[in-house]
Amino acid sequence: MSSTILLQSIGFGITTAAVVAIGAMGFTLQLGVTNLLNLSFGNVMTIGAFASLIAEHWHLGLAATIIAAPLAGALVTFVLARTLFALFARRQGGAFDLLMVTLATGLIIQYTIDALAHLQVFQFSFPSGSTLNIGPFVFTVLSLSLVGVAALVLAALLAVLHLTRIGKALRALSVDPKLARACGVPMRRMINLTWIISGALAGLAGLVYVTNSLTVDASAGLDFLVLVIAAAILGGAGSPVGAVVAALVVGIASEVVAAVGGSYYSQAAGLGILALVLVLRPASGVWSGPSRDEVTV
Amino acid sequence: MSYYLSTIAVYFGADLLAAWALNMQFGWAGVPNFAFIIFQAAGAYTYAAVTLGPDSGVNSFQHYILGANLPFPLPLLVAALAGGVVSLVVGLITLRRLRRDYQAAVFLLAAVIAIDVVSADVNLFNGSNGLAAVPQPVASLQNSLGLGAYQWVYAAFVALICVGALVLVRSLGRSGWQRALRAARDDEPGARALGLNPSILRLQVFVIGGMIAGLSGGLLVGFISAWSPGAWAYSETFAVLTGIILGGVSNDWGVLIGTFLIQIAFQEVTALFLPQIGYPGLTDALVWVVIGVLWLTVLFVRPRGILPEKRFRVLAVPRTRIWRGGR
Repeated sequence: MSSTILLQSIGFGITTAAVVAIGAMGFTLQLGVTNLLNLSFGNVMTIGAFASLIAEHWHLGLAATIIAAPLAGALVTFVLARTLFALFARRQGGAFDLLMVTLATGLIIQYTIDALAHLQVFQFSFPSGSTLNIGPFVFTVLSLSLVGVAALVLAALLAVLHLTRIGKALRALSVDPKLARACGVPMRRMINLTWIISGALAGLAGLVYVTNSLTVDASAGLDFLVLVIAAAILGGAGSPVGAVVAALVVGIASEVVAAVGGSYYSQAAGLGILALVLVLRPASGVWSGPSRDEVTV
Repeated sequence: MSYYLSTIAVYFGADLLAAWALNMQFGWAGVPNFAFIIFQAAGAYTYAAVTLGPDSGVNSFQHYILGANLPFPLPLLVAALAGGVVSLVVGLITLRRLRRDYQAAVFLLAAVIAIDVVSADVNLFNGSNGLAAVPQPVASLQNSLGLGAYQWVYAAFVALICVGALVLVRSLGRSGWQRALRAARDDEPGARALGLNPSILRLQVFVIGGMIAGLSGGLLVGFISAWSPGAWAYSETFAVLTGIILGGVSNDWGVLIGTFLIQIAFQEVTALFLPQIGYPGLTDALVWVVIGVLWLTVLFVRPRGILPEKRFRVLAVPRTRIWRGGR
C-alpha cells in the first residue's frame, strides 16, 4: 500500500473517529451511570438518522434537519427507559435480564423501521462543502465540522461532568448508586437526565453517521454499533475522554483496514479490536468478579 | 400438501437440533450465544463447499472454492466438524472471565458483522447471492422414488438424527458434567471453590453445541440445496431463542414445545399459508416484530417458560440412608 493511500485513509479515519466518538460518548455515559448494556442503542441511532431524513424530505431547513435526530433519539430513549426498561427492572433487575429486554426492543425497532421504510435504502444528501488540504490529509468542510461537533460534545460533557453539581451527582451514581442516594442525590432525576443526554447523543450519532455514509436503511445503526461499542469498551465504561481516544484508534484502524481489504471489512476491524481488547484485558472494569449486577434505570 | 408437510417436518427437525444445541449453551451453561446462527451457517457453507464439486461451467454464476464432491454421510460430518472448529476459535476469544452482558454484546456484534462480510465478499461464498445447486444426498434415490417420497425419506432421516440428539442431550443432561455447568452458571465463585474450571466447561459445551449447530446447517442445506446470507440473518438466533424461552430454558421437552410453537406454528405456517400483504417482504418484517413482542411478553408473563427447569434434589437420597444408618 502506498503511503498516499495510507495517509488518505488516516484522514478518513479521523472523520470516522469523530462519528464513532459521538456515539461512544453517549454509550459510555449510559453504561457508566445505569450499568445497563443497552443493545438497542444502535437502533436508536437509526431512528435519529431517519428523523433527520424525514425532516430533510419535508424541506424543513438545515437547522430542523440537524435538530430532529438528537430530539428523536432523546425522546425514544427516555420513553423506552421510563416504560419498558423500568417495568422489567422492577420485576427482575439483573443486568443480563435487562440486556435481553433491550435486545428484543432493538429487534422490534429495526423491523418496524424496515416495514415502514418498505425495506429500502435511502439516499441522504447533505451539503458537504468544498474540499480542503490540511497537511497530507484531505478533508471536506463537512468532515471537519463533524470533528468540530465531536470536540464540542466532548468539551460540553467534560464541563458538565466535572464543573457542575449535576456532573458530580452523575459521577457519584456511576460509582455507587446506593451511597449516592443515601447522600441525597436525586437519583430518579439524574437517571432521567442520563437517558435524555445519551439518547440525544445516539440520535446525533445516527445523523453524523449518515452525513458521512450518505445512505441509510433499517440496519444502519446496528452495523455501526460495533465501532461504537468497541470504542466505549476500549475507552472504559463511563469515561468520555477514554471513549474519544478509543474512537480515534478504532476509526483510523477501521479505515486503514477498509483501504487494504475492501470497505466491508471496516466494521470487521472494529470487531477485531473489540476481540483484542477482550483478550488482552486492560483494566476497564468489564471483567467478571466484583462487578455490580444491579442496574439503575 | 404432503410436499409441504415433509418440508415442514425437515425444518422442524433442523430447528429442533439447533434449539437443543443453543439450550445447552444458553440454558445449561449460561453462555449468551447470540451468534448461534453463525455456527449453523458455517456447517451449511461447509456442506455446500464439499459437495458442489469442481466448476463444471454449468453454474458459472458462482465461485467453486474446494472442488470436492464427498459421498453422502461425509459432508454432514464435515459440516458438524466445521461448526465445532468455528466454535472453538470464537469460544477461545469470548469465553474468558468476562461479564455476561459484555459477552452477549460481542456475540451479537459478531453475528451482525459476519453476515455483512460474507454478503459483501464474493470470493468467499459467492457473496449475497449465496450458493445454489448444492446436490442433495443420494440423488439416485430421488430419481427412483420421485420427489415426494424422497422428501419423506429425508424427513425420516432427520427425525432419526433428532432422536439420536435427544438421547445424547438427555444423557448429557443427567451427567455430573451438566450439574457442573449449572453450578458454574449459578454460582461461579462457588464452582471455582469446588475445583471446577468454568471457562473450560463453557468451552466444552460451546464446541459440542457448535457441532450440533453445524450438523443442523448441513441437514438444511442438503434439503433446500441452496444457502445464502438471507438464511442466516442475526435475528434467526432470536427465533431459536424465543422458542427456548417460551418453552422453558434448560428443559428439553419445553424447548421442543417452544420451538414447535415459534418456528413451525408461527414462522413457517405464516410464511407458507398466510397471503402476502402489502409489498413483498412486509410480512417477513412484521413476523420479526411479532417475535420481538412475543419475547418481551414471555419474559414479562412467564420468564421460566411453559415447562420450567427442574430442580435437582441430589442430597435427598444419601441423607435418608445416613439417618437410617447402622446397616
